[in-house]
Amino acid sequence: MTWDQVLELIKGILLTQTGIPNLYIGQVIMILISFFFLYLAVAKEYEPLLLVPIGFGIFLVNFPLVPLMGFTEHGDPELIRAFYKYGVQWEIIPCLIFLGLGAMTDFGPLIANPKTLIIGAGAQLGVFITYCGTLFFGFTLKEAASVGIIGGADGPTTIYLTAMLAPHLLGPNALAAYSYMAMVPLIQPPIMRLMTTPEQRQIKMRQLRPVSAKEKLLFPLIASIFIILLIPAVAPLMGMFMFGNFMRECGVVKRLSDTAQNAMMNIVTILLGLSVGATMQADVFLSWKPMLIFGFGLLDFIICTFGGILTVHIMNLFLKEKMNPLIGSAGVSAVPMAARVSQVEGQKADPDNWLIMHAMGPNLAGVIGSASAAGMFIAMFK
Amino acid sequence: MTKITNRFFKRTFLTLLISSLMMVALMPQTAVWGAFGEDLEKPKPEFTREGDVITAKLIPRAKSTSVSIHFQVSDGRLIDVEGMDFKEAEHPSVDNKDFKSELFMIKIDKVSQGGEVKVSITSDFFSSSTQYWVFNRTSKEPWMNADVQNLSLPDLVQKLVVSIKDGGPMDSDGVADGRISIAGGPKDSFWGYALGTLFIRFFGIFLVLSILMIGMIISGKVFQKFDRKKAKMAKEIQLPPAAATPEIQPAETVGSELATAICVALHLHLSELRPTATSHFFTPIISPWARQGRERIMNARSIPTNRGNRLQNR
Repeated sequence: MTWDQVLELIKGILLTQTGIPNLYIGQVIMILISFFFLYLAVAKEYEPLLLVPIGFGIFLVNFPLVPLMGFTEHGDPELIRAFYKYGVQWEIIPCLIFLGLGAMTDFGPLIANPKTLIIGAGAQLGVFITYCGTLFFGFTLKEAASVGIIGGADGPTTIYLTAMLAPHLLGPNALAAYSYMAMVPLIQPPIMRLMTTPEQRQIKMRQLRPVSAKEKLLFPLIASIFIILLIPAVAPLMGMFMFGNFMRECGVVKRLSDTAQNAMMNIVTILLGLSVGATMQADVFLSWKPMLIFGFGLLDFIICTFGGILTVHIMNLFLKEKMNPLIGSAGVSAVPMAARVSQVEGQKADPDNWLIMHAMGPNLAGVIGSASAAGMFIAMFK
Repeated sequence: MTKITNRFFKRTFLTLLISSLMMVALMPQTAVWGAFGEDLEKPKPEFTREGDVITAKLIPRAKSTSVSIHFQVSDGRLIDVEGMDFKEAEHPSVDNKDFKSELFMIKIDKVSQGGEVKVSITSDFFSSSTQYWVFNRTSKEPWMNADVQNLSLPDLVQKLVVSIKDGGPMDSDGVADGRISIAGGPKDSFWGYALGTLFIRFFGIFLVLSILMIGMIISGKVFQKFDRKKAKMAKEIQLPPAAATPEIQPAETVGSELATAICVALHLHLSELRPTATSHFFTPIISPWARQGRERIMNARSIPTNRGNRLQNR
């Protein structure tokens, strides 16, 4: 073998088998973006359970020549592509997350005060206004719906709907949804203060009635009957959610309920986060659309918060016992962070005012509301 | 978080918020269109023929499932129907988003010279407000409303009937030669559909959650009534008078010295019994047989002490 042949061999290896010559600026930018999200997750603890796997997913797939999100010669999916295909594309993981969420959720505050369901509906205002706004900016109807649902502040619903209607926007939509959910304590308080007077913030609400175990047990069945009969398209999400909750409340399958709440939830969160992060490859992500999505996502959150508070104001016109409008902001479904924000803001106005349990009602109604909005969109595009 | 970092994050957040909102507000729509470029939802019809009827199967814009559009002609022979790219008929007066199923080129022959044919276009995808617009490059105004008859058939099917004159303004070749070709497509207002459905669906959520709320209020009242009744019944049931406790005789008076001595003795005795290290008590594993036995014993107890409802004891 001559020196020329050796050099040619080395050159061939360097060019075709190592990443360095194939690395381009877009990938470097994406790796830096992944560092930013990892920083937010680790140092600032913003939604770390999701931003860590998402951030690491972005980090991994933006190296050149990595066999992670492509297909093998025989057409089989590579590692993260397999997670994505079977978990997200087949819409399995979001439904499993809903199962786990159902098993974690205590519907007591919502059952005790069913009026708060209306707040959950009002807080979907942003979803529809953003949908309109994005249409104006040239998004297709399906894309607009997938961007609009970000304001529902429900990660699995956003992923479920986007995977169904606009899979090419999955990465930016999921990232926008989880980032803004983490920023709820920053986004909501100024709007809450803007839309309420100090007197309104001091309104004390009557303690919720105790809810019997039988009532809690029957709730998932009653809610499933109403919701699935009216919006059959939402059955995969709502059915799993209510099934998880039924397992929790029936008390005879504690092992299953524990698994759904812990082990299963953790496994699917890892797979979901990695899959979503891995969709954000430089050539797909670095364009105008994701930037617009981030802009609209923020607008969406703001309008949803506004919608929730406005709904309480309107309801107060007709109610004898007034509700504290601060609980309206919890109508976006970021559970339980949005309810905590209501509590904190309420205590700033009156340190003796405990709003958390009252805010949990609209918060849980928000989950049902955003899933219903997703169901409405799915039905619309069928 | 310190005050300074808190302030820093708040300011960063506000700057990002304002800049992103400004970006969204100020960005010209044309630039956005240019940036997005490709038409992701372009329908790709597939045609099949069955006798005199040609059927186009396609996934229209903003739909996930395919629809069928049937073409039929009276007073002539339908030669062929082809899909037509909107780019070929692009004009500032129309928007391709209004044509959810894209455009078709319908070719007809065996028409009496200068005669008229009726083209029937049938689908359950059309609504009562669907129009049919025709494109003729040679006309002054290339796009025109064909003023179709929109007929409602059973099973939510709509039939559009277009009348075309050989050599007339809607005939693409413009010559009365016994052949007609029509370029055009069914048109629905995009914004009308988007905003209309938006309004309906937003209030649909209110409706769904309101119905659920009413259901929950009613079931809540039933449960509350049931619980009150149960509590009332429990109050009414009292222990029989025979079971009254016997009269307690007053104890013998004990001197303070004796009481102190008893207390000290008890204290010393119990201190000795107290374990030095923490003990762990484990609940023995209960076999199903033992559990069943316990449940039976619990159920056999008198009503005031029966707490056999497993859900309440959970």
